[in-house]
Amino acid sequence: MAIGTTEVLSTPATQSAGPWRTAWRDLRRNKVAMGSIIVLIVIFAACLAAPLYASSVMHLDAFTSNLDGKFTVNGVTGPVMQSSDTGLGLGVNPIGPTWLWNNFFLGADNQGRDVMSRLLYGGRNSLVIGLVSATLCCALAGFIGIVSGYFGGGLDAVLSRGLDVLWAFPVYLLAICLSVVLINQSLTIGPITLNSGSIILPILIIGVIYVPYVARPIRGQVMSLREREFVQASVGAGATDARLLRREILPNVLPTLIVFLPLMTAINMLTESALSFLSIGVQPPDASWGTIINDGVGLLYTRPMVAIAPGVMLAITAVALNLLGDGVRDALDPKARLRGAV
Amino acid sequence: MLRFALKRAVAAVLVLFAISVLVFLIFFATPGADPAARIAGRNASQETLQQVRESFGFDKPLPVQYALMMRHLFIDRDLTSFVNRGVEVIPQIKQAIPITLSLVIGAAIIWMFFGILMGVAATAGRGSAVDPLIMIIGVIGVSLPVYWLGEVVNLMTQSRLHDSFFSWVPPLGYAPLSSGVWNWASHLIMPWMTLAVLYAGIYARVLRSEMVGAMNEEYVRMARAKGISERRVLWRHAFRTSLIAIVSLFGLDFGALIGGAALLSEVVFGLQGVGKLTYDSLQNFDLPVILGCVMYAAFFVVLANFLVDLVYALLDPRVRHV
Amino acid sequence: MKLRITTAVASAGALTLALAACGGGSTPAPSASAATGGTTSSSAANAAYDPAKAGGDVTLLAKTAGGTLDPKINYTLQYWQLYQAAYDGLTAFKKVDGQESFTVVPDLAESLPTATNDGKTYVFNLRKGIKFSDGTDVTVDDVVASFQRIFKVSSPTAGSFYNGIVGADKCLATPATCTLDGGVVADATANTVTINLTSPDPEFFYKLSVPHAAINPKTAPVKDAGTTPIPTTGPYMFKSYDPNTALVMVRNPNFKAWNEDAQPSGYPDTITEKFGLTVEAEVTAVENNQADWIFDSPPADRLAEIGTKYAAQVHVNPLTAVWYVPMNVNLAPFNNEKARQAVNWAVDKNAVVKILGGDKLAAPVCTILPPGFPGFKDDCQYTNPAGATWQGPDLAKAKALVTESGTAGQAVTIITTDDEVNKAVGEYLQSTLNSIGYKATLKPISGNIQFTYIQNTNNKVQISLSQWYQDYPAASDFINVLLGCASFTPGSDSSINIAGFCDKTGVQPMIDDALKTEQTDMNAANEKWAATDKAAMTQAPWVPLVTPKLIDFLSTNVSNYKFSKQFYMLVDQLQVKK
Repeated sequence: MAIGTTEVLSTPATQSAGPWRTAWRDLRRNKVAMGSIIVLIVIFAACLAAPLYASSVMHLDAFTSNLDGKFTVNGVTGPVMQSSDTGLGLGVNPIGPTWLWNNFFLGADNQGRDVMSRLLYGGRNSLVIGLVSATLCCALAGFIGIVSGYFGGGLDAVLSRGLDVLWAFPVYLLAICLSVVLINQSLTIGPITLNSGSIILPILIIGVIYVPYVARPIRGQVMSLREREFVQASVGAGATDARLLRREILPNVLPTLIVFLPLMTAINMLTESALSFLSIGVQPPDASWGTIINDGVGLLYTRPMVAIAPGVMLAITAVALNLLGDGVRDALDPKARLRGAV
Repeated sequence: MLRFALKRAVAAVLVLFAISVLVFLIFFATPGADPAARIAGRNASQETLQQVRESFGFDKPLPVQYALMMRHLFIDRDLTSFVNRGVEVIPQIKQAIPITLSLVIGAAIIWMFFGILMGVAATAGRGSAVDPLIMIIGVIGVSLPVYWLGEVVNLMTQSRLHDSFFSWVPPLGYAPLSSGVWNWASHLIMPWMTLAVLYAGIYARVLRSEMVGAMNEEYVRMARAKGISERRVLWRHAFRTSLIAIVSLFGLDFGALIGGAALLSEVVFGLQGVGKLTYDSLQNFDLPVILGCVMYAAFFVVLANFLVDLVYALLDPRVRHV
Repeated sequence: MKLRITTAVASAGALTLALAACGGGSTPAPSASAATGGTTSSSAANAAYDPAKAGGDVTLLAKTAGGTLDPKINYTLQYWQLYQAAYDGLTAFKKVDGQESFTVVPDLAESLPTATNDGKTYVFNLRKGIKFSDGTDVTVDDVVASFQRIFKVSSPTAGSFYNGIVGADKCLATPATCTLDGGVVADATANTVTINLTSPDPEFFYKLSVPHAAINPKTAPVKDAGTTPIPTTGPYMFKSYDPNTALVMVRNPNFKAWNEDAQPSGYPDTITEKFGLTVEAEVTAVENNQADWIFDSPPADRLAEIGTKYAAQVHVNPLTAVWYVPMNVNLAPFNNEKARQAVNWAVDKNAVVKILGGDKLAAPVCTILPPGFPGFKDDCQYTNPAGATWQGPDLAKAKALVTESGTAGQAVTIITTDDEVNKAVGEYLQSTLNSIGYKATLKPISGNIQFTYIQNTNNKVQISLSQWYQDYPAASDFINVLLGCASFTPGSDSSINIAGFCDKTGVQPMIDDALKTEQTDMNAANEKWAATDKAAMTQAPWVPLVTPKLIDFLSTNVSNYKFSKQFYMLVDQLQVKK
């Protein structure tokens, strides 16, 4: 039997046990997908444990400047911020990675704070912002792309030009503007009141700005699908638009959205750092992987690990999400099931 | 077709209008954006501030200022920067276009080549280690911040390995095509590769997904059943129908990049293209240049999407435009 | 003056264009010959011009262009430095290495006139035989037109430097019809120009020696000339200027040296300032000898590298400048003197020194006037243990003062620019304010907006981070400009007294008194400035943080480095290796 695939994704296991159970069984058999889930769980757990790591292992607050800090390794004590003592003695650099679990494992940043602690804390913001904004983006894009491609005509023209405006819109200008406006005021959107430190703001901005990027391919796909034999046949058989969209179009579009979701998550985590840089979203001394990368770019020549570590985390997360997405899609295989039903 | 083009031209004007109004309003909605004090200079007396405000027309109502600026941009074509005064916006953009074109076209060729190659190879290699490997490489490319990557490339080519492996890499910057093809290309190889890394991964991923989907389609199965070779099925059937998504993405990316979205690559490699111009104007909060750059970018976004819609019909003749 | 009007920014992307710490050097105090570290410049400070060393091309790098090329309007150190080899005023700062460079010498005037009419009238004899780079003679009419032009083009300093000239008030009100009638009077037959002031101004020669008072042809446009070069009188003229690519200076064919102190002959044949590379790339280019000097400060992560591997090419000089934290004395919590003093006790200035690149690149300061400046006297009211110079912070005392003031727990927003160094100092301040009982947030905003934003009282900025670089070596340029009542205009974007400090009964009378004393006795006035500085700091409208040092990083292709304390490295004195 055919079922609405969105429901399968959003409400687990409760309804029509058959296909869902099959899918879940397929997924469980997929070693790569299960491996990805484990990796993601480990990353989530580690990020949740950030306060524990900072207080009980590292014994250093991750958000307080530590420019005068000292560290001790193998009985040798030195300053965290080390002045250059060769040549003209110019420059002060934070210590590099010690590779000791409990002592500046990845070194310190330009405030003398532990990079490892900040990486774990930063993961919380990055994961939330990346995942929520990517989901928002794909949901909006899926909706607009399908409506635009399916109904065509005037509606398509209006929506498409709206996407053009959005795509050509200088987001950085808006971000600069918001960053200054929000210093003294907060922004009220309906019932929600936002200040510049709220992470809802970057989620909304990032979620919306990439909508054209996902919506346009979906629209093209739907335009092409609409003319296919099996859709035309359904139209001939008197199927309603709602039924067509749900049973023919959506299942065919979903795999594309599943591919875009992890990609957009990675892109969004990076875009978030650009907005943070402009004082929208994650604010100092708070961190995200993107903001740590920003800090690290300034330390590229001396402490490359500050930028590499969050970059690696970001890549691992994106790869795991991609592999999981593939697994989910294979397990659901909506097209095969759809074809069985027709 | 002509009617279609005309309709889109009208729509394009509306898009440009909408964006210019938005930019204008956002600029003046920013507290501290009033350019008068920045133009007047540090510690300028209140009289001087007032003189500047009047001579630049900042005391006029916003709609009048908007109309004046649009007139200078499109009719008199002599809109000048607030910051680098005396510099006209339009010649600046004209000067920057060849640089951005050189960067983006070269990078696009590279990322399309590798994106398609990787996407098709991954599809063909489904079930083997090739597929996930290609995907992982692609995703890592997406996860690298282009600015950081550019700095690392510079670190290697200009500093650490400058005297050995990369001694052929010229100093950062742009050399026009007229100075010799190799001279031009050698300045751009590193920027091309850096920019292409991000996009190749996305395209490979999306292409693979579409092709895997297409391989399961009825007509592809039929073609297979008829004994058509796997390679032919892959390229003639699956690849062709999968191109719609790729063409959409390419339209968006190419339009935006030509319009200046490659700003970080241009900044990090010292290329004075439209992206760098946009970046500088945002840094300087220089409204006329911001406006000029954004209008220019919007034009290309609209144009690229127009072309994409035409290509749809070529790729899939069943898709017709009303 | 503010350094780097258009360049002190980074942002708009996932990037941090490092704008690193200013300055650096191994001489802690501004003594003797300024250049240190390098090997080249220890030669005799001002050897005579050596024609055999002339020739070659010098390439300078800057991240961005410095705006208009019009010397009457441009107010950036970036171009003021280049103007030294191009434009001349009636007077000039001596173009030499070291402390001497603060001395004013006659330039286009034959000699420095003595003021008459109770210090209100100066009669300048114009030098004969000097031509502009376009071949026309420099006449007294050009001088008059140049002074009128200051007002006609709304020069930034028209109302602050030149408002004391008779007739300036009318020119400020209606610039288009500016004549300066009775203020600047030419006598073509005697070849003299008489300048009448409304009241004596002991700093007037300084004001005549900055580029805004340069003498330009009377044919110069009465609007901002923008990118069109105005003919020069010095050894170089501007050949072309494109803010996106480069500014090119070539030899002025009509230049003949008249006073080597005021306007020495230059060495290179061309001087080109190229724009557009990132600062990281600029440093690499100089390391590779692809360029000869960078205008921007090297980023933090390159300091160690250039300080060791390229030590011989580095010159470090202290600047007469200050990084400071203005606190709004009219807004809670810093309308409370104790709260302001608490912040002064709490801030660890050595932490800020570290962010700026270490003690070779910055030094803690306690006073408004930077060390080595006229009127400066070692004095530190907020240091633990007590001393004349800064020793360390006293957090306990700071916390106690916050509690006493009753402002504990209040929300405080710190506004900084968004470049790497400013942001890092901001993060440190935020941490410190939190530790003494405030709820601090940091708002780094675009560098171009921040400077005007923090000045306008409408924006209700409580505390911010700013820098001030001297215009000319006089105490009033810091104390009167930054803390005088006249510089405080509520609701205006141009209100350089950022703290909004106007003490009509205590400090302002002291400022007025010091200004008056300057007219007769500079030394006595400087004593008074020191006292004013101390009195102001007792009320703590600022936290003075550090005084920066400047790094000049040269390629191995150039030598003969000379550092003027007024306008920094003398670009035209660089000799190119042949």
